[in-house]
Amino acid sequence: MSSISDKKRLSVLSNSPSAPASSGTGEAARPTYWKSLAELEQSPEFLELAAREFAAPLDQEPPNSPGRRRFMQVMGASMSLAGLDACRWREDKILPLSRRPEGTVPGSSRYFATAMELNGNAVGLYASSYDGRPIKIEGNPAHPDSLGAASAYHQASVLGLYDPDRSDTVVTRAGGARTASSWAKFGKALGELSGSLRASGGAGLRVLAERSSSPALAEQKRRLLAAFPQAKWVTFEPISTDGPRAGSVLSFGKAYRTHYALEAAQIIVTLDADVVHPTFPSGMANARALTKNRAAEAGEMSRIYAIESSVSSTGGLSDHRLAVKSSLIKAVLAQLDAAISAKANALPELGAAQDKPAAEFLKEAKVAKFLDAVAADLLANVGKSVVVPGQHQPAEVHALAHRLNAILGNVGRTVFYTEDELAEEQSDVLALKALTEELGAGKVETLLVIGGNPVFTAPSDLAFGDALAKAKTSIHLSLYEDETSLRSSWHLPAAHYLESWGDGRAWNGTVSIVQPLIAPLHGGKTALELVAMFAGNAQPNGLELVRATHPELGSEHAWRRAMASGVLDGTASARVEPKLKPLGKVALGEAELGALGGGNGKLELVFAIDPKIIDGRFANNAWLQELPESMTKLTWDNAVMISPRTAKELGIKDADSVTVNVGNRQLTLLALIAPGHADGSLKITLGHGRTAAGHVGGLVSESVDPVGANAYALRSLEAYELATGVSVQSHGTVSYRVASTQDIYTVGEIGQQGTQERLPELVREGTFEEYKKNPKFVEEVVEHNPLLSLWVPPVSYDGHKWGMSIDLNKCTGCSACVTACQAENNIPVVGKENVAKGREMLWLRVDRYYKGEPEDAEVAFQPIPCQQCENAPCEQVCPVGATMHSHEGLNDMVYNRCIGTRYCSNNCPYKVRRFNYFNYNIDTIGITPYTPTDDPKAKVKAMVFNPEVTVRSRGVMEKCTFCVQRIQNVKIKAKNVKRPIEDGEIKTACQQTCPTGAIVFGDLNDGKAQVAGLQRLPRSYALLGELNNKPRVQYLARIKNPNPALTPAEANAEASKTEHG
Amino acid sequence: MAISDVNPFEAPPVGDNMFARITDNVSRIAETATPPRAWYIAFGVAQLLLLMFFGSLGYVIWNGIGAWGNMMPVAWGFPIVNFVFWIGIGHAGTLISAVLFLFRQNWRTAINRFAEAMTIFAVVCAGIFPGMHIGRPWLPYYMFPIPNQMNMWPQFRSPLEWDVFAVSTYATVSILFWYMGMIPDFATFRDRATTTVRRVAYGIVAMGWRGSSRQWHVYERAYLILAALATPLVLSVHSVVSFDFATAQLPGWHTTIFPPYFVAGAIFGGFAMVVTLAVPARQFFGLKRIITIRHLELMNKVIMATGLIVGYAYGMEFFVAWYSGNKYEVFAFVNRAFGPYGWAYWTMISCNVLFPQLHWFPKVRTNPWATLAIGMIVNVGMWFERFVIICTSLSRDFLPSSWGYFVPTPVDLMTLGGSFGLFFTLFLLFCRYLPMVAMAEVKAFSPAGHAHGDH
Repeated sequence: MSSISDKKRLSVLSNSPSAPASSGTGEAARPTYWKSLAELEQSPEFLELAAREFAAPLDQEPPNSPGRRRFMQVMGASMSLAGLDACRWREDKILPLSRRPEGTVPGSSRYFATAMELNGNAVGLYASSYDGRPIKIEGNPAHPDSLGAASAYHQASVLGLYDPDRSDTVVTRAGGARTASSWAKFGKALGELSGSLRASGGAGLRVLAERSSSPALAEQKRRLLAAFPQAKWVTFEPISTDGPRAGSVLSFGKAYRTHYALEAAQIIVTLDADVVHPTFPSGMANARALTKNRAAEAGEMSRIYAIESSVSSTGGLSDHRLAVKSSLIKAVLAQLDAAISAKANALPELGAAQDKPAAEFLKEAKVAKFLDAVAADLLANVGKSVVVPGQHQPAEVHALAHRLNAILGNVGRTVFYTEDELAEEQSDVLALKALTEELGAGKVETLLVIGGNPVFTAPSDLAFGDALAKAKTSIHLSLYEDETSLRSSWHLPAAHYLESWGDGRAWNGTVSIVQPLIAPLHGGKTALELVAMFAGNAQPNGLELVRATHPELGSEHAWRRAMASGVLDGTASARVEPKLKPLGKVALGEAELGALGGGNGKLELVFAIDPKIIDGRFANNAWLQELPESMTKLTWDNAVMISPRTAKELGIKDADSVTVNVGNRQLTLLALIAPGHADGSLKITLGHGRTAAGHVGGLVSESVDPVGANAYALRSLEAYELATGVSVQSHGTVSYRVASTQDIYTVGEIGQQGTQERLPELVREGTFEEYKKNPKFVEEVVEHNPLLSLWVPPVSYDGHKWGMSIDLNKCTGCSACVTACQAENNIPVVGKENVAKGREMLWLRVDRYYKGEPEDAEVAFQPIPCQQCENAPCEQVCPVGATMHSHEGLNDMVYNRCIGTRYCSNNCPYKVRRFNYFNYNIDTIGITPYTPTDDPKAKVKAMVFNPEVTVRSRGVMEKCTFCVQRIQNVKIKAKNVKRPIEDGEIKTACQQTCPTGAIVFGDLNDGKAQVAGLQRLPRSYALLGELNNKPRVQYLARIKNPNPALTPAEANAEASKTEHG
Repeated sequence: MAISDVNPFEAPPVGDNMFARITDNVSRIAETATPPRAWYIAFGVAQLLLLMFFGSLGYVIWNGIGAWGNMMPVAWGFPIVNFVFWIGIGHAGTLISAVLFLFRQNWRTAINRFAEAMTIFAVVCAGIFPGMHIGRPWLPYYMFPIPNQMNMWPQFRSPLEWDVFAVSTYATVSILFWYMGMIPDFATFRDRATTTVRRVAYGIVAMGWRGSSRQWHVYERAYLILAALATPLVLSVHSVVSFDFATAQLPGWHTTIFPPYFVAGAIFGGFAMVVTLAVPARQFFGLKRIITIRHLELMNKVIMATGLIVGYAYGMEFFVAWYSGNKYEVFAFVNRAFGPYGWAYWTMISCNVLFPQLHWFPKVRTNPWATLAIGMIVNVGMWFERFVIICTSLSRDFLPSSWGYFVPTPVDLMTLGGSFGLFFTLFLLFCRYLPMVAMAEVKAFSPAGHAHGDH
């Protein structure tokens, strides 16, 4: 603004003095127009003044008689000014806001409530906006599925927004040649198309859409189907939802949603169900509920049994875990049903008990004992237990679980039902099959594919891609020009949810409004707008469509309230009490009655949704690709997971390249040995192996190799959730270094021994009984000399003393905190090769340790941020003082001062320091959203950076700062109004997003602070505290609540002996 | 200036008395127009290696030090291994020139000059690494206490900062000592010069030496003072370098035995390098009459003695780790010997402890080629000692989750190999243009120098 007015002023100054000067040449010449009476009079005083008006200050000599000094001055100035000619400066057009928009403070971030939908479940979020750019996602505390938490893929969605690979134009592929088009041209084409469609009543129109709970979209869908009565709408998601739906139909005759009140349950039995994982319906809320009564201090603890094929987050939290193949779960439930029905006062209307299945594996002592104990525990806790089946389990398993929950009196106490409005008549995959057949038969003229990527995600034997080509017009709306777009005649760029108006429902039906934080960067449109266009609305306006759907929000006040809170109160579905129908005897197939293990030809293969990239939709998100998977710690890859015993039997070693054969389909990929995995079971996550994801996830057309292997290639209509009769062959070690962040290489016997020897000290653990007997057992794990120091610490920590407490009993290993940290702190992505070399940059890592025999391993998670030692080893060894101690106890990094000796990292016992071995930000260095650059992609990429955190250059060390920028923000806010900082007011990024509240940050000087209280607990301990580093992070020991019937007494005594050493 | 196939230095030295023959024997190396073909071949190879050295460093500066294999947790890899290796090499020179001088071990005069040269070139090689291995190699001056407008000051609690002073002091004193010792010999070169260029060049560096009694008196005093100054450096430099490790709390580094053990190891490795250089040098430059078998035998005895000290230290480390009862410490050593880097450990043990034992046999230690072979083996062993200390300790520290396995990249190997190119380039130039043997000192202790009987 100032530059413009300065220029104007200059031009005014240079023009105006000539006027009086020229008019003043003749003595008597009087000006025609005059400015003052003095001018009119042309008095000598005025003339002198006018001549001098722009002269230098009066006491300066005019330069016509220069002295030597003066000459030198003038010449010097001229010389230096002459140099200025070489300088150029940017010309900016600044358009000032004539009025500051309400509530906008430049340089400060604001939060807006919005929601992100996945598989028909919308999770309410807060997105921060910094100068109009969304840069960070947080959970919305008011939303029932979030409760303030956000998962890794929610956190990473901002990176997806600024993904330079996103499609930025409408594309047509007439005859295979790609032509860039426009929305206007598409609108025209659509006009012609709808004319012919209308004539036929939409007989040739099919819509293939992602599952969506949006009421606004449902309304547009209704209008579309009204306009084209012959059209059909097909919903397809590769994520399993059919088991619960069909199970509910089997049990109640209608589809209901199941809700669990895990906080009210004393005994929790999960059957191949990762109930706390964000991909489970309401998973994050479940995680919070489940861990609520896992604090030993409360005097009461729930008990969790996990029966599952692969180690899940829930399995990690569980007190007892039984590894059985996924295909055996049905028999397990039948067995439990038989055992419980016999003893419980089963209501006659629930039907007869199941027969004890004649399964081999149920006779095994380990399994029998386990299931007896579970049945006894369930019976002892009638009305206070819960049985949770997994999403990908078949209908009968869900039906049996409904029955068991009813017998155990859990319904209405720990299990609730609501109507499922999204339930379809048939399973997604059958609907897709019917559509494919129609396409094959040439009945489909126009196929509108809304979101999703069915060419990639459809079962391989369906050959959907080939069928798609048979539609005369196929239109695909998506964020990227992906595999489906390449086969469609039109590709339309979709708007990201952060660019969209919309709405969606939570698992319990609560409606949230999706509001945009930024105008569509690439001119994308939402599914809502596109369907409205089809339904006849030529210029749809997302906001109006949403508002029209919610007449109850008609008043501006109500609308604004809904916007602010992010949820519409009272929109949750009503709880219903459906009547359970008697369940017949479930049929058990051969594979469902098999033995525990299984060799080649008898293996089962479980297709699982990838915890990071889901069904492949986030494959181009580098944060998610580089996020270490919870159990394997694998990045940039997927693997088939095999149990140690099965691997040994099949001659497969860790990190071998193997070929998996399912029928006549095969896939060659990396194999990883997963301790605790069920024998005879294999697991592959779906979504990897994308060929048209982008420059991150694989783009074959530009020679970017796919990341991982495509498991959809093995999936078929029959073997959809699970394949049996699978065999696998090894080809020896894979040719590349596996990009895992833990145990990259063979640890060997010595390493194993060393690990097992120190683990009890690192991850301290005890049973609830032990804890009740001696709450101080945690301190007694490590014996060490008194911790003395040679000198008094130079810092007194009079003001604040920041500390953190991490509850290992609550950590599910979901790693949302890791991505939250990455988003908050501008942590770069280093790529597969550098991760394989051990150069990942994540400031916060979640360590995963196995305990016990590999076959029955238990898993423990331990998040490791910088421990912010008071007596920090890193600070003492830096030769340039680049890491310094603050008076609040933070180990501050001074990036400008760091020259990169890396000595600090060597001396850090926790190895939390990360080094920029290369310039990982080379694309975006020096680029801000406001910098003109020839590389628009770099500019888009740079938009994701948090402006409050330095973007580090090559050659400097970095590490967790306890989110010092968040600390400072709150300190400034409190100081401005002269009030103390409240406990809980500062939340670190990891803490804020943690679904279970395992991480608590605060001021240790504040005795009433939650963190201070937690650090005073007897089960709080400092990791490697015996080194006298005085870490500010303390861990709360894991306390398990095992069933005495399942813990052999002698083993118990043994364990306590070694632990109390 | 054709290169002759015949080694010109095979001929007996010219002169009518012993002093003249010594002068001729040494001076003709620098005065000949055509050095032997072997010199050209060696210099050519050294130049290629030097090119590779600067090429690899340039690559690293351009791309970032990720071009090397350094990673987390092994944040110090080859560069620091090379640094400690080269610094250690230097120690023999200072020991020979200063300590043996103070102890009046007169046999040292035959070898002290090029041992000192070796020291300086080794320090040059070593000095490149700390500056280059840092993440921002354009900023090593942040480590120097230079008053500046940024108000920055080094952090003096860091052993790396102590290194800056230890190494720079060492380099300064070594250069002074070396240069001062050469002044009488430069004067000899000047006086024998047949061309103007040589006369002027050597005349300048001879700094007006006339060989007067007064000059000799001052020279002897100064030499003694510098020897006294250099003697503590023999102990201090590598002690300080060992503090880089000993003051860290990393298991395998955090050991009080490090200073004496490092010093002994440095002398061990340094002497091995002296014999590695001496055997070919006496062969090709016709210095067998000056650097005799007796000299080699004495150096071999030093190698054996220091090798035993090093072997003792290896054993003592294990004992102390066990005796400490600290599980991390015990693990560090068991893992060192039997873990994934066991091969490196046993290479080190066999090179440093087993092979030097052959010197118990007089036939071996008086055979120049056996001496050369064992010297080279010890050099390999000492490089591996630093590798074992740095890389195996770092690869598996406290938390098993952060364990890793360091694998060098081709650039690492190029930098390591290239540093030998720098060393040999400098050494070969030294052989060609500077007095390789301290003529004046050799004369003083030659039988002819004692014609008047003992004082």
